[in-house]
Order: sequence, then structure tokens, then C-alpha cells
Amino acid sequence: MEDLERQLKNALARKDAPDWFEAKVMASIRRDGGVQARRPALRWRWASALAVTVLVIGGVTWQHERMVQERAAGEAAKARLELALKITRVKLQRIEQRLNETERDN
Amino acid sequence: MAGPGAAERNGEAEATAPTFSDVLRANQGMVFSIAYHFLRDRAAAEEVAQDVFLQLYRSFEELQNGAHAAFWLRRVTSNRSIDYVRKRKLQAAVALEDAPEPSVSEEPGDPMLNRRLRALIGSLPETPRMVMILRYQEDLMPEEIARTLDMPVRTVKSHLQRSLAMLREKIGRSMGDIR
Repeated sequence: MEDLERQLKNALARKDAPDWFEAKVMASIRRDGGVQARRPALRWRWASALAVTVLVIGGVTWQHERMVQERAAGEAAKARLELALKITRVKLQRIEQRLNETERDN
Repeated sequence: MAGPGAAERNGEAEATAPTFSDVLRANQGMVFSIAYHFLRDRAAAEEVAQDVFLQLYRSFEELQNGAHAAFWLRRVTSNRSIDYVRKRKLQAAVALEDAPEPSVSEEPGDPMLNRRLRALIGSLPETPRMVMILRYQEDLMPEEIARTLDMPVRTVKSHLQRSLAMLREKIGRSMGDIR
């Protein structure tokens, strides 16, 4: 082996990890375990948020549908009234026409 | 010189399923050293090493044995260290040469030359730097480095040749001829 390669092996010899490293990793794992344990609560929070969103969207949609239905019912009533008025006007015109004919005959 | 990777190649790795604590204890020096030699920053190396072992803990059941764990740890430590530099734009600063280095039971060779070599390796771009660390710290063969870093063997060999040529030139210029 060349001297340079031997020197590189010396220069890059493994260093010792700090004495407290193992304890620190185990402490992190315990904290990480705590995070894992809290995850179901987080899941419930997401489920609640989703339920609220669904309810709000459902409420808005229902309100919109109700308004559409009310407007359609109003339009139908208006159309019926216009038809009734038209029939009445035609009938009145006929009565007026008959009265005029009667007066002319007399 | 038989490096730490040589033992695993000779089949001396644990055959029985080790516990997480066993793997942590057996590999903490290796993981910390890869990160430290790559980042040249003790705090950053500790952070990366801790993250690597947290990730190991989460995927521990998927690992088959001690040798597989060591391969997995080298691969994840290498990737994490490279990502760390790329994200934080951490440069392998020559100024860090003055910072106190982690203890090593008995540093072989000339300490001044060792420091100079570490600084020069720290100045290499990320991929060749990691290739050099895996070759000379972990004593891995180019084929093993290629598997660890997921790159072609010829690329590994090319990085090694170019890095050695650069080191030879710079060391030769500043500290005398080393061949």
C-alpha cells in the first residue's frame, strides 16, 4: 500500500462518539415514542376538523338547495297568478263585448 | 491494515439478531465518524448521527442482522451527511481545523499530517469526499462503496483516483514528497 493511502487511513481513523451519545439517542427515542403515542389524538383532531368541514359544506349546500326550491315555488305561483289574471281579463272582455252588443240591440 | 469493514467482509459480523442497543453501541463510532469526517463539525455530526439512529429505530424490524444494519447505517449516514451539507450550505471550513477534535484512543501517524489530510479531504466536493471517507475510514472496496452510495463502480474508482492525485499534489507541495 502506498504511504499516502496509509496516511489517509491514519487521518480518517474512526473517532469515538461522545460518552453521552448513547443516552442521548435513547432519550430521543423515548421522546419519539411519546410523539407516536400522541398520534391517535392528532388523528382524532383531524377527524373532528373533517367532520366540521363536512357539516359546514352540507349546511351551505342545504341552504342553497332550499333557496333554489323556494325560488322555483315562487316562480310557479307567479305563473299561476299570471294565467289566472289572463283568464279573468279574457272573460271580462267577453262580458264587456256582450254588454255592448245588448246595448246596441236595444 | 485491517479496517472496520474488513471484519464484516470476513463474516465476523453477528449472526444472531442483535437488539437495537447492541447495534447502537457497536456502530455509534462508525456513524459519528463518517458524519464528523464529512461535515468537520462536531455538533452537526452529532445531530446527523442522532437522526440516523432514530431512523434506524423506526425501521429496525426490517433489518436482518448486524451486517445488514452496518450497511444500512453507512448508506443512511452518507446520504444524511450529504443532504445536511446541501441543505445548510455548510462548507467544510478550513477554520474548523482549529476546533477541538473528538477523542480517539490513540491517533496513529503524524498528527500534523493527519490534520492537513483531513482539511484537504474536507475541501473535496461532496461525493468524492464521501467516497474517500468510506474507502479510508471504513476500509470499503470500490464495489462496496458503489453499493453504499448507489453509483457505478467506475465512478467510485474515478473519484478515488482523482482525489488521490489532488491530495498527492497538494501534500507534496506543502509538506514534502509522499509516495
